[in-house]
Amino acid sequence: MQLSKLRKTIFLTVMSMLMLQGPFVQAQDAQLDRIEVYPAEVRLAGVREQAQLIVTGHYTDGSIQDLTRVATISTGNADVVTVSGTVAHPVANGEATLNIDVDGKATAAKVIVENQDKPQPVSFLYDTLAALSKNSCNAGACHGSPSGKGGFRLSLRAFDPKLDELTLIREDFGRRTNSLDPENSLLLLKPLMKVAHGGGRQIRADDPAYDVIRDWISEGCKMDAADTARPVKIDVYPKSGRVLKKPAVEQQLSVWAHYSDGSVRDVTKLAVYSSSDVEVADVSRNGLVEGLKRGEVAVVVRYLEFIESSFITFIEDVENFVWSDPQVNNYIDDAVDQKLKQLKYLPSDLCTDEEFIRRVYLDVIGILPTLEEVTTFAADQDPEKRDKAVDALLDRPEYSKFWALKWGDLLRLTSGQVTNEGVYKYYRWVERSFRENKPYDQFATELLTATGSTFSNPAANFYRTSKDMNDCVETISQVFLGARLQCAKCHNHPFERWTQDNYYGMAAFFNRVQRKNTKRANEMFIYVSQSGEVTQPRTQQQMKPWVPGQGDIENPNEFDRRLDFASWLTQSDNPFFAKIEVNRIWSQVFGRGIVEPADDFRDTNPPSNAVLLDQLAKDFVDNGYDRKQILATILKSRTYQTSYQPNDFNEDDTKYFSHYQPRLLSAEQLLDAICHVTQVAESFSGLPAGTKATHLPAPDLVNNEFLKIFGQPERQTVCACERTNESNLSMAIQFFNGPLIYGKLKDENNSFRKSITDGKDDGQIITLLYNLAVCRNPSDTELKASLDHIASKEDRVEALEDICWAILNTNEFLFQH
Amino acid sequence: MNKFLLSFIVVCLAGSPLLGQDAVSFKADIAPILINHCLACHGPKKAEGGYRVDTYERFLREGDSGVAAITAGDHDDSESLRRIKSEDEFERMPLEGESLASAEVELIERWITAGAKYDSEDPTSPLATIVPAPTHPAPPEAYPRSVPITAVAFNPDGSQVVTGGYHEVVLWNAADGTLVRRIQNVGQRTYAVRFSNDGQHLVAAGGAPGRLGEARIFNTESGKLVTVLGTTSDVILDVQFNPTGDRLAVAGADSTIRIFEFPAGNLVRTISSHSDWIMAIAWDNEGKRLASASRDKTAKLFDVETGELLVTYSGHSNPVKGVAFHPDNEHIYSAGGDNKVHWWKAADAKKAGELGFGGEVYKLERNGGVITASSADKSIRQIDAAAQKEIRNYGGHADWTLSSAFHEGTKRIVGGAFDGAVKIWNTEDGAEVISFVAAPGVK
Repeated sequence: MQLSKLRKTIFLTVMSMLMLQGPFVQAQDAQLDRIEVYPAEVRLAGVREQAQLIVTGHYTDGSIQDLTRVATISTGNADVVTVSGTVAHPVANGEATLNIDVDGKATAAKVIVENQDKPQPVSFLYDTLAALSKNSCNAGACHGSPSGKGGFRLSLRAFDPKLDELTLIREDFGRRTNSLDPENSLLLLKPLMKVAHGGGRQIRADDPAYDVIRDWISEGCKMDAADTARPVKIDVYPKSGRVLKKPAVEQQLSVWAHYSDGSVRDVTKLAVYSSSDVEVADVSRNGLVEGLKRGEVAVVVRYLEFIESSFITFIEDVENFVWSDPQVNNYIDDAVDQKLKQLKYLPSDLCTDEEFIRRVYLDVIGILPTLEEVTTFAADQDPEKRDKAVDALLDRPEYSKFWALKWGDLLRLTSGQVTNEGVYKYYRWVERSFRENKPYDQFATELLTATGSTFSNPAANFYRTSKDMNDCVETISQVFLGARLQCAKCHNHPFERWTQDNYYGMAAFFNRVQRKNTKRANEMFIYVSQSGEVTQPRTQQQMKPWVPGQGDIENPNEFDRRLDFASWLTQSDNPFFAKIEVNRIWSQVFGRGIVEPADDFRDTNPPSNAVLLDQLAKDFVDNGYDRKQILATILKSRTYQTSYQPNDFNEDDTKYFSHYQPRLLSAEQLLDAICHVTQVAESFSGLPAGTKATHLPAPDLVNNEFLKIFGQPERQTVCACERTNESNLSMAIQFFNGPLIYGKLKDENNSFRKSITDGKDDGQIITLLYNLAVCRNPSDTELKASLDHIASKEDRVEALEDICWAILNTNEFLFQH
Repeated sequence: MNKFLLSFIVVCLAGSPLLGQDAVSFKADIAPILINHCLACHGPKKAEGGYRVDTYERFLREGDSGVAAITAGDHDDSESLRRIKSEDEFERMPLEGESLASAEVELIERWITAGAKYDSEDPTSPLATIVPAPTHPAPPEAYPRSVPITAVAFNPDGSQVVTGGYHEVVLWNAADGTLVRRIQNVGQRTYAVRFSNDGQHLVAAGGAPGRLGEARIFNTESGKLVTVLGTTSDVILDVQFNPTGDRLAVAGADSTIRIFEFPAGNLVRTISSHSDWIMAIAWDNEGKRLASASRDKTAKLFDVETGELLVTYSGHSNPVKGVAFHPDNEHIYSAGGDNKVHWWKAADAKKAGELGFGGEVYKLERNGGVITASSADKSIRQIDAAAQKEIRNYGGHADWTLSSAFHEGTKRIVGGAFDGAVKIWNTEDGAEVISFVAAPGVK
């Protein structure tokens, strides 16, 4: 007895020495100061309960590490509670202490064990269905698909327990379960691959989910009693604020469900985990997170329809990294720098004046600066000249037209949807909103609550393009809430917190909108009827108007429920409204949102810099939703003005704005830019001569092959993704030998031919072309190469055509940089 | 290892050459090992490594690796055996599973050494169809809980009711519901019980979901197993004797109808036309045609002599679960997931009428002029087969009814339910005669 105890002690000591090596390696300079256990007190009120313990080490340098896997956890009373690995299991009613020790630092957790003398039946709704979800049985690609798989259909992620009850217990005479010999149930034999299963092996006999399903079957596949407590929320620990430094990049999570009777249970084993960025961190089936490279990750935790995230930052030492204390223009740079410093990325230097003037013209007004504008700006010695340029551009008429183009995409301005006559009126309304700098809350409210004639109140076209209730819900949620709700029309969103109830709850604001044609051709009249309710198609429940965060609206404005929605949306503390618009504006000028895609806000897609997004949103709200003001603040930041050239310490950063990311000009920008360089305007039939592509009210007013190839959207959806800037072969062919560029190069009145007529020499003409295309003079090498080319050719004009064509084919021209 | 597998193997190994040095039989010794350990990953549904073992012929073939699985006469050179015996856990078969028992490995070695010979008829027959019929485990002495009553029948004189149980069929006194006899060595579940015309034989058809299907013929008097017909890899859902009683049609989850001589047991014909499970079958009044109801949402009619498909009825647009002939031999009743019984013309599959239920409808059992139907609406319906009219609705079951039968002589109807309850009614006045839970020993 003594001997065996001694052996055990030696064994444990050796084991803990071996195991301790990992997490202590990097902490040479810092000492372990204290350890902490979560939960410090826990109640295990049932035979099935357990508690995942999490041990955190706090070091003298302020850093923390997850020591769960290296801690020695022992029970103070094995008759009450036992510990296996890092999980506490109840034995008998009573109280006990768990002693936790790491490297001589100790702490304790109190455990209260109850109800061990009573049965604790498996809950069908909250255990069995969660176990099936955990093993992805009901995933969309498997039995959760609308037609099931192999004759076995489950509801997607268990959103319809009634259907699942029928399928699991009754369908095909109860074929899938065998309560007399539970382990011989098809429901277990198939995923174990003891019987051929198209989906392969999906479960192991030692999985917690296996026990849950088997026990539920052995108890007779019972439905829950009517008074079964239902889960109301989940918590994940740790929730946020963890910064883990390589090599200590492991973090165990625990998940706790809170029930309607006030009880709390550990559901770590039944929760499903996914990483928002699998390049940054991986997460195991059991909630163990492992960092892979520096960056931030949201580990999304899902239990039934409840979703929470744990935010973890991973950092590492970068050799020779020294923070350079770069210039700070405003709070944007502070927020960006804070993140860059933590992750050890160094921002690039400021871009040159030539780069800036080209960049900011394209971003604010969509077109390139003239030769005079370029030279005036270059000559200006005012240190504030960049800020002044921003302010001046925001007052240009092209600003409102260019930004109306962007909103035209979102509002689906096409003559096909609102008629030819209507689209001009609607476009002018949007354009004027930008010109007058209409506060964004007012802009949104006017759209959302619009009624009347689409001619006299063009905002009413919003309900002309949103043709029905479903269209309204999906459009409004995507444009104003940044949420893609289409999935929730037929079932709970498989990955997000949106449920089918939410979808139809939102619908109850908009189902009363009526649309009728008037006697005037092409006009539509929008009005709101005073009755009509929404029925949830699955539950057949009549839905109350519902908004996220606040829930059902108990006494809606029965004159027009949309007013309630608009007033909720535009409240200063609305969690979506301001953030989505500032993020959209940010993404327009950076080519990437702080949340990316810019209209896809969800737990699984966290912002790359939450502080920055919060501050921008606050600034936006504080300044009365002034879009020009927020855009100016962004453009005046150093962050916007960094060079596109990376340095040794930010090359692999694409998310944290350490340097400007070059991007292809949009279709309209590119066409205007080609016209600008060649000085040959594009003519659009039916539109006034000289109309720029960036000023087109709707894509279907013209039929321009070039624009289509370069990603001009048809505006059939509200998704920002409809405008694509992915390059393709057709684009390359357009620039090789496309008719549009060819025509402009051959035009008798184009820029270089006119210059020849004006008597300019070759050097002057080449300089002109460079300034028009890329806002700078040619370098000596470029100039010499060009002049050599002209000298080598018999025909001077042809040679200049070549040079202009070559400039149009440079990345420097094609890209905003 | 779970109980079923264990008992299955013990049964298969009993009297096998494991103990002595008798010749190793493929069908009796090797095929069961393949079925239990290999088929799930190397079968028609999933052929890992491009390799399958679902027939002898495929077992010998090479997989994607291009290496033949077996080198007859040389077990050291046999790839499959090498993988089974491998020490490397990433190579050893079954992957991620328990290793084969040494006795099983030895059997395979000896079989290969002796030439890897086949000892059944067709080397392309699925393994499930060639393995000797297993002896099934005993039913629970006392049921911890009831099981769904998926099959009921009256015995020829109507004095007893037989129900399908768990690894058994049970005979009950039709007058008072007392237990008469338990017949064992039956598959896990029974989906149809039928008596031969002379009453001497009782057929229990069913199997284990996803693993085995079979129709077992017992001597009614002695309860002894006479023969096993129609063995397949998933459950048999219906069996029917032809009017003269010399043919037995067997159909189920393999989507085929097989017709056997009775009692000789020779396979006369296989009809493969449905694309999903066949839930029920019915002979016409002359034994010349067979009607079938399938999960593929159709009912079909076949010529028995030629196996030719005569017509297809698609009117349910839902799985079809029951089928019966009209006494006029020119109409067919079918029922299913659309919660209706339809009747339609055999000549052209044109719908002639329908009868609505409150839930999906299962098998239609015709006896003389009466059709009975069970349904998820918890009722048993008595239908006048000739007049296409519902005569009576027998309520009272607390759960879905899954099976029913009518006895002409005693004028009784029996209905079995999902919750294990069996009820018998007198069709003359509609009164309930007896109600009991058909699970011996259940509390």
